[in-house]
Amino acid sequence: MKAGTVNTASRRPRFNWLNDLWPWLCAASVALSLLMLGALLALLLVRGLGHFWPATLEEVTLRSGDTFAGHAVREVELPQQAGDERLYFTGNQDIEGARWRWVAIEEIAERAQPADLIRLERSPWGDFIGRLVAIEQDDQRWEGDAAWQRLTTLLALPASQRQESQLLLTTVDGQTLRQPMASVVSAQAPNAMSWWQKTHVWGDGVWRFLSEGPRAANTDGGVWPAIFGTVLMVILMSVMVTPFGVLAAIYLNEIAHQGRLTRLVRIGVRNLAGVPSIVYGVFGLGVFVYGIGGSLDEWFFSDTLPSPTFGTGGLLWASLTLALLTLPVVIVATEEGLARIPEAQREGAVALGATRLEMLTRIVLPMAAPAMLTGVILAVARAAGEVAPLMLVGVAKLAPQMPIDGEFPYLHLERKFMHLGYHLFDTAFHGEDVQAAIPLVYATALLLVLIVLVLNLTAIFLRHYLRRQRGNEC
Amino acid sequence: MTPPRLTSSRQPLRLLQDRVATGFITAGGVGVLLAILAIGVFLIWETLPLLAIGESLALAKLSPLAWGTLKAALAALLFAIPVALGAAIYSALFMSARLRARIKPALEMMEAIPGVVVGFIAGLILAPWVERHLASALVLIIWLPLSAGLAGLLWQLVKARLRRRLPLSWAGLWLIPWLALMVAIALWLAPWMEQLWLGGELRQLLDQRFGMDYATRNALIVGLAMGFAVIPSIYSLAEDALADVPSTLIEGAQALGASRWQALWKVALVAAGPGIFSAVMIGAGRAVGETMIVLMASGNTALFSTSPFEGMRSMAAAIAIELPEASPGGLTYHLLILAALVLFIFTFLVNTLAEVVRQRLRRRYRQMGGTS
Repeated sequence: MKAGTVNTASRRPRFNWLNDLWPWLCAASVALSLLMLGALLALLLVRGLGHFWPATLEEVTLRSGDTFAGHAVREVELPQQAGDERLYFTGNQDIEGARWRWVAIEEIAERAQPADLIRLERSPWGDFIGRLVAIEQDDQRWEGDAAWQRLTTLLALPASQRQESQLLLTTVDGQTLRQPMASVVSAQAPNAMSWWQKTHVWGDGVWRFLSEGPRAANTDGGVWPAIFGTVLMVILMSVMVTPFGVLAAIYLNEIAHQGRLTRLVRIGVRNLAGVPSIVYGVFGLGVFVYGIGGSLDEWFFSDTLPSPTFGTGGLLWASLTLALLTLPVVIVATEEGLARIPEAQREGAVALGATRLEMLTRIVLPMAAPAMLTGVILAVARAAGEVAPLMLVGVAKLAPQMPIDGEFPYLHLERKFMHLGYHLFDTAFHGEDVQAAIPLVYATALLLVLIVLVLNLTAIFLRHYLRRQRGNEC
Repeated sequence: MTPPRLTSSRQPLRLLQDRVATGFITAGGVGVLLAILAIGVFLIWETLPLLAIGESLALAKLSPLAWGTLKAALAALLFAIPVALGAAIYSALFMSARLRARIKPALEMMEAIPGVVVGFIAGLILAPWVERHLASALVLIIWLPLSAGLAGLLWQLVKARLRRRLPLSWAGLWLIPWLALMVAIALWLAPWMEQLWLGGELRQLLDQRFGMDYATRNALIVGLAMGFAVIPSIYSLAEDALADVPSTLIEGAQALGASRWQALWKVALVAAGPGIFSAVMIGAGRAVGETMIVLMASGNTALFSTSPFEGMRSMAAAIAIELPEASPGGLTYHLLILAALVLFIFTFLVNTLAEVVRQRLRRRYRQMGGTS
């Protein structure tokens, strides 16, 4: 525009520190928040998914003549001196006594990536990294490439159909090992793989992470029981919280006299959403577990006392506690939906002769249904990520039995269960080998964040859709 | 005109159904409200036995925890308040409407990230990193605001065409790569500067010259991690308050010759003041009660220390650690429930205050003819 160009001289006054700088500080805080959020998500994505990508195995020769094989994990500066050191995962805990090895980079004389290095996943002792020499079965013997092919065909069979055989293995520094086939879970030769094969192995790894139980003190294997426990607990919780939350919202909005008391109650309910979750955990422990659970034990399960049945943390108490915790979320969301319905709709229904029940069930509730759904989804999202109260009312680091099985009564409400968030906390902070557990913790964290974000996004879109629809109607 | 009498035979049944349903809903609603009330009653009931014991013991046990809670919350708020309020001011007053509709949900999404995940990143990834690069971390805290100012200064100096391509209303987005670049530069330069100016590692220097201990998991880490978790709740409420300030007020001030700074400082912030206050209160309530982040990132040592490089143990974390092991009815059990009661009352009061202030503010805006 012409006027704009004429004015440029007067529009560029001397730089005023106070006046011209602070908008940039404000803009930078938005950018910083987004940067932190992005960095967190990127870190989780890269580390969580990258763990399943088959790592290239290296054969490292040190200046001292020592050799070992493993994959490089990370590098840090050496303490107190110049240079870096590198952490290798070397496996072979049964032979070497340790699975990790720190090496100063200056010490390394040679690094090679021979294609015949293999990595076996074994169920006791963890990973083996080295070479396959032969496979022996009764009096048959396969060597070289034939041995590898035999190994892959054996592993493709289900565990029950595999024949008894022995693997002859050597480590890179020449020690030999006889490994019974029964304890081998999987085998791969990552250096010889093409890109496509690696993708395949990666997909397989992700699937096994989602579908298997934890192994080796939670440092290996998957998180299926934790996913199952989380989902079951959340389902039970929503079954409890939905009817009561909706009832309370209808009462507050449609039936109660809209006076000072109702307003106070409404503020109180809203504030409960801000009460720390650990307080609900304390309440759950004191009232549900020790109070109600203790009494139930005395009345119905007195023959098993003093070992508690319901008088200890369990699935039922955990879902009840979380139901109480998420009640305000459902009430507030439902009330919001009820308040958005135009008064004319209600008056119209009543004027046509409907009773209050008919007005509610035929007019008001169908219109408020998306709002209720939003509330329940938000409640589920909050419950899925909540860990602190669960630590008090029944989560377990390793539950021996699933809460649902083929034994009567099929759903065992008194059993302890596993939870993704607590699994993450426990593996990261109480594990024996934190170094080995961290990649799995990343993957678990990614899974948890994905679940919670997807639930929240669903709620946001639902609410958005709802508002636009209402906007058109009114 | 007589009403249609089609349903007359079913009339008493319908009325009965209606009565029953109303009674049922009332019972359900009141029951839920009573259950909620029961939380407070239970907590108070369980702390009553403590009255018999006397308060000196309770004080000795709880005061380090209370101090830890306050220290953690303070550290978090020190980081969260400037960032959250800055972000709120920017997105309410400067951001283009199209961008705002995208950015606001994205920032509110931060709130959904579970505390365990933030705690894990803080305790196992961030804490060891900061321990090794303490100087870089401290330099970053000073360098980031400076680099934002530098961006503003450069923007004033570049050609008008480029300025139109990178407008202030989209700065929240295009400053991200700029900040990332600045972080990279600071990380690259900091170890070198540390050697040049301090002649050694900062952490050893602190230890030798000032006798300051450094714990891996400390208040600095907790502040950063919990600040991250608190930013969205402060931002969301403060932004609502600022966006609801009637635009006539700000435009009027600027028409009377106020500069942008004066319009913000003397008009917008004053008008939205109660809303911002309630936002900060809610953030404080969240910071006090947050459990998992403090549990994982604070080291959980019950200390009285003001040093930002030492750990602490908060009340919420103490409850989570000790209550499962405490025998019901014992002294520890009652003391921990007292801690829970303190948390409950504190957050409840703070939230009520915030809510009342917010409702009053909304009424005031309505009187001023605002939009809300």
